[in-house]
Amino acid sequence: MRQFLSHFIFALIAFVPTAVIGQPEIGDVLIRNGTLLTVTKGTLENTDLLIRRGKITDIGKNLTAPEGCRVIDATGLFVMPGIIDAHSHIALEAINEMSTPVTPELRMRDALNPLDISIYRALAGGVTTIQTLHGSANAIGGQSVVMKLRYGTLNPSDLIFEGAPKAIKFALGENPTRIHGAGHNMVPRTRMGVEFVIRNALTEAREYQRKWDEYNEQKKKKGFRGAPPEYDDRLETLAEILRGNITVHCHSYRADEIVMLLNVCRDFGIKKLVLQHANEGFKVAPEIADFGAMASVFSDAWAYKFEVYYSTAYNAAILTRNGVVTSINSDDPGVIRHLYHEASKTLKYGGLSRDEALALITINPAKQLGIDDRVGSLEVGKDGDVAIFRGHPLSIYTVPVMTIVDGIVRFDREKDPDDMRIYVDPEERFDQSGFESPESYHDCLGTATATFNQLFENR
Amino acid sequence: MRIFVANTIWIAVGALLVLTTAVAQDKELAPVSDTYAIRNLTIIPAPGRRIEKGTIIIQNGLIEAVGENVPIPPKAIIIEGDSLFAYPAFIEGLSKTGVKSPGEEEPGRIEDPGNPPPSRAGINPQRDVRDYLDPNDPTIKELRCAGFGASQVVPRGILLPGSAAVILLGGKTSDELVLKPRSACYSELTSNRTVYPSTVMAVLAKWRELYRQAELARDYAALYATNASGLPRPEANRTLEALYPVTTRQQPVLFRASKMLDIQRVLSLQKELGFVLILADVSEGWDLTEMIKASGARVFLSLDLPEDPAEEEKAKADSLSNPELKALVKRRSEFIQKMTAQAAAFDSAGIKFGFSAMDTKYSELHKNLRRMVEAGLNPESALAALTINAAQILGVDDRLGTIEKGKIANVALFNKPMFDKDAKVMTMFVDGALYTCFEKDAHKKSASAVEGTWRLTAQTPKEEIALKVVLRKSLGKHYGGTITGTRMPEGIELTDVTFDGKTLKFTYDFLLEGQPEEVVVEGEVEGKTFKGKITVGEYGNFPIEGTKDPER
Repeated sequence: MRQFLSHFIFALIAFVPTAVIGQPEIGDVLIRNGTLLTVTKGTLENTDLLIRRGKITDIGKNLTAPEGCRVIDATGLFVMPGIIDAHSHIALEAINEMSTPVTPELRMRDALNPLDISIYRALAGGVTTIQTLHGSANAIGGQSVVMKLRYGTLNPSDLIFEGAPKAIKFALGENPTRIHGAGHNMVPRTRMGVEFVIRNALTEAREYQRKWDEYNEQKKKKGFRGAPPEYDDRLETLAEILRGNITVHCHSYRADEIVMLLNVCRDFGIKKLVLQHANEGFKVAPEIADFGAMASVFSDAWAYKFEVYYSTAYNAAILTRNGVVTSINSDDPGVIRHLYHEASKTLKYGGLSRDEALALITINPAKQLGIDDRVGSLEVGKDGDVAIFRGHPLSIYTVPVMTIVDGIVRFDREKDPDDMRIYVDPEERFDQSGFESPESYHDCLGTATATFNQLFENR
Repeated sequence: MRIFVANTIWIAVGALLVLTTAVAQDKELAPVSDTYAIRNLTIIPAPGRRIEKGTIIIQNGLIEAVGENVPIPPKAIIIEGDSLFAYPAFIEGLSKTGVKSPGEEEPGRIEDPGNPPPSRAGINPQRDVRDYLDPNDPTIKELRCAGFGASQVVPRGILLPGSAAVILLGGKTSDELVLKPRSACYSELTSNRTVYPSTVMAVLAKWRELYRQAELARDYAALYATNASGLPRPEANRTLEALYPVTTRQQPVLFRASKMLDIQRVLSLQKELGFVLILADVSEGWDLTEMIKASGARVFLSLDLPEDPAEEEKAKADSLSNPELKALVKRRSEFIQKMTAQAAAFDSAGIKFGFSAMDTKYSELHKNLRRMVEAGLNPESALAALTINAAQILGVDDRLGTIEKGKIANVALFNKPMFDKDAKVMTMFVDGALYTCFEKDAHKKSASAVEGTWRLTAQTPKEEIALKVVLRKSLGKHYGGTITGTRMPEGIELTDVTFDGKTLKFTYDFLLEGQPEEVVVEGEVEGKTFKGKITVGEYGNFPIEGTKDPER
């Protein structure tokens, strides 16, 4: 470790949490003499990478550092594009609106929390961009946020990935039926119910859209007098999905419900679809590829509830080999810190190449989020989002040492103070027995374990 | 200090007490005159101005004259103000002073939590705080005796509880209290956690939708009003109608936003919809001054401050010897300091702000103001925030905010300069009426009357419970004490002990079936006997009475 330290040139003062409001910061960095894992253009040994004003402007040998540019000596280190997580729930003050099964009007950016320490912890695992989503309580959830991990800002807007396409969460299976069916004794109680709820909502949106189109058309006529249709934020958003302006990210596990969803999307002309979890995606990989849907999966997490028992660690590899753009996601503030490790499992289970494995956490999730022109690989013109590792990132011995977002060093292993919180609760009391936030329980697994137990106790 | 009515009748309040009947307290008897002359006192008519040995003439509820050599009308009740300091009575921007609960919501389970009745979801902008005002609510007196003469009050509730009103803190009927009705549409980012909207993103989505619906309904209603022929009748909807003046920018939205992120959420919403915004209860805004300034929002900063528990923790054995813990305590102290210096930061940024007292203990208001001044807030700016700035934000600066001729007679009389550690509000004039707040001798007398050991018996349906209560004067607070009984042989420390010479009230927390319950005892002291009621959480109240042990 010490040896590597001496290779770094510490030109900047330590990164300490400081409160910043304003435009997102961009910076200049020259990373010198590293092994560049570009993902899309192969591996480049002993190569320099220059970031100016937040963008990669040059990749090559013996680049010269512009005046005042920070230089990082990456000799013996691995430089890869910043990791992208297509499925997370960090940086949110609320995740699930459980009161009703259709809530597309919700914008997760309204709940965004730039102070969440999980952002910094994700940076410490080389992650630079995530999609943070509504939970899986609702058949149709809220609109997600694609964000850059610009930890240190106070302004939620500064986290937003500018220009990223709109995306929304859908959910099938046990979670919506448990919350609304078992919980509120309402539709959906069954998988058929979930399909009905989605079809019903989209049909209503079609009708709503027709009414408004008609009204707006009438309004153009001279001397028109009439009442406008009722404004409904929920149906407005669904109409946007029907117009193809919002990508659907659907929480789904079983092969049958995946095929059901493909059919629903076909019926309503929805083309932009990413299957989240897709635990049995391997069974219907050709069908998914044929539709043109993409899939974001766990490497090898399963059996945490009944619908996730038929599982395999080969899922990502099988989907990839069938031509499905596949990513590996965390869905968890802990796993997000070692997505590189999750990706490496596909080398063993399915025999993916190193570039294919890295693509699962870089360019592929970028494609799924519609931001692959900006991030996901080391190419000139792309954003200066870089993760630097000691040891190949797919090696079990790898250690993330530095994470750069828009040319700004947001994590530096050598300057990693104990307390990275940006704001502190002035009324906090210190209890040394443990630190757990209520948010740490929010994920798609939820209370599924308890339900699974009940299933057998009630028999 | 003495008061006397032109030459003959002597009435006294305050330090040199002769009689305490006619004028003092909120007694039934009307004063013998509605004209007052407070003379020979230091007057701060507005921030930055000062009149030594001046006189204030109050007549018909208004300030008739202020100055050094002001003639005193013959019928005036004269108050010798020697050594007193007169300030414009303070104005507070957001509280529930004098506001009752709207009563029980219709009970029962909601069949579809996704589509609850609007009242259960907290969507009640058509409600009006005037319907819930109680002029006899003790909080009116409490806030008044903290030096406040006016307050912007809001209905209890969540999300959109109803319209606010600026009230004067003194009056016999709820209408008499009201200075400016419908001063703002009040909103919070809170929810009924079980029905839609239950989360912050749903609350904001609902807000946007209601606003858009109100705009459309407003325009259609206007179209219908010009010529109804051939048009379907507009749907009657009081919720949306209540929002019309918000959409036309005629009524501001008074938004409670304490935390840094909530403030930004409200600012984003305002940017998107374009309503007139008053932020209130702001306590984490020190980093947002530029953003708030750019938004044009008006601001009431919270008067609530956290205690610094570091000292208390230090006392606990070895808790600070752990370096990790020590670092945590240090950072927490930094943020307590930032919060305390928030008002100073707004002042430096050139933002005119007022203060709000929502959820602040009224007994702590002065201490907190002093802490803010110690943390760098210019005392003149603090006074401006409490008076003229607040009046401007509320649009009542033509009537309130300074001591000058023609304004409503809202005046606070302090024994010392207001930021002095021992400063106390002695007397308040609100709407021209005199209220006594602090009577030194009376206080002493009543203190000794209640101090000591009391043997009380509470009568519950099941049993008789014997309790021993020891009351003593304590530092900082006026009283403290402990309660012991068969189920609590260890003794429990009392909280919030108050005694005004007649009514004794104290509370304590008691573990009932594992649940902490707050117990409130309230009753009247007559000599050495006590008679009142004891309220145990949700379990109801029971009679309690007893006597005081002879003093040793």
